[in-house]
Amino acid sequence: MRVFWEMTKRSFQRYLTYRAAALAGLATNFFFGLLRMAILLALYGERPQVAGLTVADVITYSALSQALIGYLSIFGWYDLMNSVYTGEIGSDLLKPLGLMRFWLAQDVGRALVNFLLRGVLIMVAFELVVDLVYPQTAVSWLHVLCTLILGWLVSFGFRFLVNLASFWSPDARGMGRFAFLSATFFCGQLMPIRFFPDWLQGWLQFTPFPAMFNTTIEIYLGTLTGTAVYLALLNQLLWAIGLLLVGQWVLQTAVRRLVIQGG
Amino acid sequence: MNHALTIYWRLLGVQLRSQLQYRLAFFFDVVAMSSTIFLEFASLALVFQRFETLGGWTLGEVAFLYGLEELSFGIMDMVFSGFDPSYFGQEIRRGSFDQLLLRPLNLTMQVFGSKFVLRRLGKIGMGLAVFLYAQTLITVTWTPAKLLYLPFVVFGMVCFFGGLFIAGATITFWTVESIEVMNIFTYGGGYLIAHPMHIYQTWLRRLFTYVVPAIFLNYYPALYFLNKPDPFNFPAIAPFVAPLVGILALLASLAFWHFGIRFYQSTGN
Repeated sequence: MRVFWEMTKRSFQRYLTYRAAALAGLATNFFFGLLRMAILLALYGERPQVAGLTVADVITYSALSQALIGYLSIFGWYDLMNSVYTGEIGSDLLKPLGLMRFWLAQDVGRALVNFLLRGVLIMVAFELVVDLVYPQTAVSWLHVLCTLILGWLVSFGFRFLVNLASFWSPDARGMGRFAFLSATFFCGQLMPIRFFPDWLQGWLQFTPFPAMFNTTIEIYLGTLTGTAVYLALLNQLLWAIGLLLVGQWVLQTAVRRLVIQGG
Repeated sequence: MNHALTIYWRLLGVQLRSQLQYRLAFFFDVVAMSSTIFLEFASLALVFQRFETLGGWTLGEVAFLYGLEELSFGIMDMVFSGFDPSYFGQEIRRGSFDQLLLRPLNLTMQVFGSKFVLRRLGKIGMGLAVFLYAQTLITVTWTPAKLLYLPFVVFGMVCFFGGLFIAGATITFWTVESIEVMNIFTYGGGYLIAHPMHIYQTWLRRLFTYVVPAIFLNYYPALYFLNKPDPFNFPAIAPFVAPLVGILALLASLAFWHFGIRFYQSTGN
């Protein structure tokens, strides 16, 4: 466990050195957030509330949909894949930490830096220009904290699995791009899942995608209350465990057939 | 000029042949490209049943606007790939741009020919599909004049966004890295004009009317094609300035580009 935290610390420091790149993305995220707000407000028109979301809720949703992009690596994550293609994975496998835990540690650092530099800052920027809603009680903040961590774990499990495709195919990048792209739609980052037709919402229940993003949003906005919050958190936890277990199993199979290029 | 064109076609041929070498990978890339547009549009189309209109515009009318913009942006993204600031910035950093300077050929033409991303066909195709889908939802009263003007609107947007790419590429002469803020105008601008302009806040709309005149590229032509009244009471000529705005933006960017080349200092040591 000590090794894990050491790795996390290193990763955090490493990503912190790229802060210029993280900050540069802020302006674009902010701008797209404003456009998303305008589109949702135009859809609402005179309606105060649709499918349980008020106007203030969807404004906050738009802000969060931009704030969490970096934290959850929503637009894609190819680090593990790249290490397979460059052969770096060879030395990573020698580290005193299983490969999955090694990448998990790396991702904790990456997620934290992105959460602080992009997530928090962008919410502050939005707070200056629009009216955002916030959880009202300490307990709801605690729920938000839990759902943020679990959502990140589910997202990591998914991203890890997608990257493992590189052990089998030399062109996993294209597949990855497709997978991450579809995920933005299915996890509710493009539109709140509540607005989708019922049949689609029904289907999405059986996928891990809403647990990455949409659940976090619903708990933050308070659209889920009472026991529903705990059920949603449990759902996230089960998806996280499931994906990580599958990832571990696929990884074992993958490493067995790994051929490291180079001389 | 003729010589430069011959070279351009030759460079283009090389690009196409190399990109078509890995058929399966190419196919995946095209599918991924078109899915970007498809999923983004689908997310909007799927929620329309709950909302009915977007700022008073029906799904068909929005699809008209959206398809036309994506189609044009896709064409631009393919033809102007060499100037894509994120790609061109790399060329500057690696010093590859210096190689082009050494050749006794038209520089601008060489950059044009240095990259041609054929997989953008996926984007263009999906843009066209959304545009055609719009025709099934709404009845556009097409007249010969409208049909004649349509390609000019596409041309205007291709020139305009191509100009933004060139301007972004020129900035990398000084900054080396492509500057992220450029994305607000290129991709952000594209996304912005793919939706009806009257839904935006006043300051945002004014910015994209008077500073960056993108409102005339897609929104005003669409008002004309769809016979919709102009909510901002611009002169009646407003829908027809799209190609002019595009050409002016492109010419201004090219002037900036030539200015930048004169001040270019290599990154080498």
